[in-house]
Amino acid sequence: MQRQVALIKQSLLDQGYLDEQFMELEELQDDANPNFVEEVATLYFKDSARLINNIDQALERGSFDFNRLDNYMHQFKGSSTSIGASKVKTECTMFREYCRAGNAEGCLRTFKQLKKEHATLRKKLEQYFQLARQAGPKETARRPK
Amino acid sequence: MTVEQDCVALDQFPVGMRVLAVDDDQTCLRILESLLHRCQYHVTTTNQAQKALELLRENKNKFDLVISDVDMPDMDGFKLLELVGLEMDLPVIRVTHGACDYLLKPVRIEELKNIWQHVVRSRFDKNRGSNNGDKKDGSGNNEGVANSDPNNGRANRKRKDQYNEDEDEERDDNDDPSSQKKPRVVWTVELHKKFVAAVNQLGFEKAMPKKILDLMNVEKLTRENVASHLQKFRLYLKRISGNQQAIMANSDLHFLQMSNGLDGFHHRPIPVGSGQNVLQNPTDLGKFHHVSSLPLNHIDGGNILQGLPMPLEFDQLQTNNNKSIIAGNSMAFPSFPTQQSSLPNNNNHLVLEGHPQASPSAFPGHQINKRLEHWSNAVSSSSSTLPPAQNSNSIIIGHQFDVSPLPHSKPDSLEWNTQNASSSYSIPFCDSTIPLTSSMNTNPRAFYRTTDLDSNANVQPGVYYDSSQMRQSGNYGPTTDAMLSSNPKEGFIVGQQKLQSGFMGAEAGSLDDIVNSTMKQEQSQGDLSEGDLGYGGFSSLRTCL
Repeated sequence: MQRQVALIKQSLLDQGYLDEQFMELEELQDDANPNFVEEVATLYFKDSARLINNIDQALERGSFDFNRLDNYMHQFKGSSTSIGASKVKTECTMFREYCRAGNAEGCLRTFKQLKKEHATLRKKLEQYFQLARQAGPKETARRPK
Repeated sequence: MTVEQDCVALDQFPVGMRVLAVDDDQTCLRILESLLHRCQYHVTTTNQAQKALELLRENKNKFDLVISDVDMPDMDGFKLLELVGLEMDLPVIRVTHGACDYLLKPVRIEELKNIWQHVVRSRFDKNRGSNNGDKKDGSGNNEGVANSDPNNGRANRKRKDQYNEDEDEERDDNDDPSSQKKPRVVWTVELHKKFVAAVNQLGFEKAMPKKILDLMNVEKLTRENVASHLQKFRLYLKRISGNQQAIMANSDLHFLQMSNGLDGFHHRPIPVGSGQNVLQNPTDLGKFHHVSSLPLNHIDGGNILQGLPMPLEFDQLQTNNNKSIIAGNSMAFPSFPTQQSSLPNNNNHLVLEGHPQASPSAFPGHQINKRLEHWSNAVSSSSSTLPPAQNSNSIIIGHQFDVSPLPHSKPDSLEWNTQNASSSYSIPFCDSTIPLTSSMNTNPRAFYRTTDLDSNANVQPGVYYDSSQMRQSGNYGPTTDAMLSSNPKEGFIVGQQKLQSGFMGAEAGSLDDIVNSTMKQEQSQGDLSEGDLGYGGFSSLRTCL
């Protein structure tokens, strides 16, 4: 089971869903913080869901307040980076570029993509954490160095 | 954090350091918290800057370090930082997403391991009374700068190196200030104001250069600058504390004058105000155009220290590079025949020569002469009225302060001639170089500003011109001021000081005259502070040389 967990994780990494940062987070997990990574991930998804909502609303309104959108995205990018959500981060960057260019359509497109990535990541991580919990915290916390 | 921590080896980090982490992003905050725990620090987190401030204010000693995100909605991270730095003198590390700042997100543990150094450094400095870590934040910044790729572990190392490097540099700076060819800092009114505000905030007794520096938050100002300025300031206050209160008002100016020495005074017509603190009399200042730049207001109510530019720098005089040096050399200028009237330097230097090094006796004639020459040129151009100061009164500025002790060989603008122990409030213009004290002996009032052209001046060449002297010359004050006027802001101060020197007993009348004449001159010359010296006043200023 542990191997399975490890494999999933590895694949996430390989596919670029997650990056080194995620690994760093795992390192922080220990006996004192057995579910640290999961907690952080949960926080992240909660926060980011809220942000996505805000952005959605802003976009739906039709009036493209690029500044505001950029701000949201800045936050989003920050937390995504912290957790190591690499694909999401990439989308954020692109979105911001479009914002800066004032390209509304680009923004919309990118945002759709971003949401997709975000959702995918969420699913995968949920899966991962589930398995990890089953496998036993210690195991998953260990990261092959 | 105690001394023990100071001794902590660099590769270890102190356990139990209390950190306050602020970040509006819950995810980041959580991560930060965990990282800090990993480093065995005590962590308190909050996602609101306001709350953070409250926590900090509640008990200033509760935390050793603050880590804060810079882009937070309820309060700008920078602002928080400033407030924290000002109020509590805590090291603050900023975290940002951005490319070149401080700690980059995502925060790495290696970096956090380094942050304790910020604290240690500051403690260390406090303990030693010196400041090695002026730029604690700066170091942190460097850390950030080094690595724009958050995922790059190497970058962390780089940052660390940079951090170390930075520290080394700082150390070098601290260790060997004299060898550094730092551009001289001019203590302008604004700067001085900030300085004073910082000192007041910290409490005069407890003011430490590092803290002052942080509070002032001025770029390119080093701790050393602050330290030397502080030293001067303290000496200055000591000096004037025995003086009439009147002087206090003007002390700012004087102080500045003294400390700046160099640039300050240009363009400032130094209103020679009569004996009383002329400075306190804004109107006088008003006369000087240049002075206008100087907010006389500063002088009021104790902002004395506000930005008194220390225009006087006798030393500068020599260089004559537009230094309005109101050198407060107490040295009487005994004989600057040439100079006499034309005080104003060509370059708007208030030439108050404070010849620092020359032994007072003999009126470092040569030096003075040199200066005077410049001066005279300047002066003559500016004011024909200046009568050939017989005794260098006109030169007034030429006082050479008793250089003997010129403690500061460096013409540090911040130096004052606090030496004038005497009451004479002598405007310490001479920028440090002029150790008024020595000459002061005779004249207590050695006016740094050379405006002391007091009659006593002739006492000895090295004597500062007491303010009393100034008195006579009355104008001396103004003249120097005028000279100082080169720098409007500073000049102002100088001028003010001069005015103060007025208190020196300068005849009000004469001072006024001087001032007036100065003013006129100024006007005619435009900005030329030198001329401002109001050479008209010069005539009256007779340095007692």
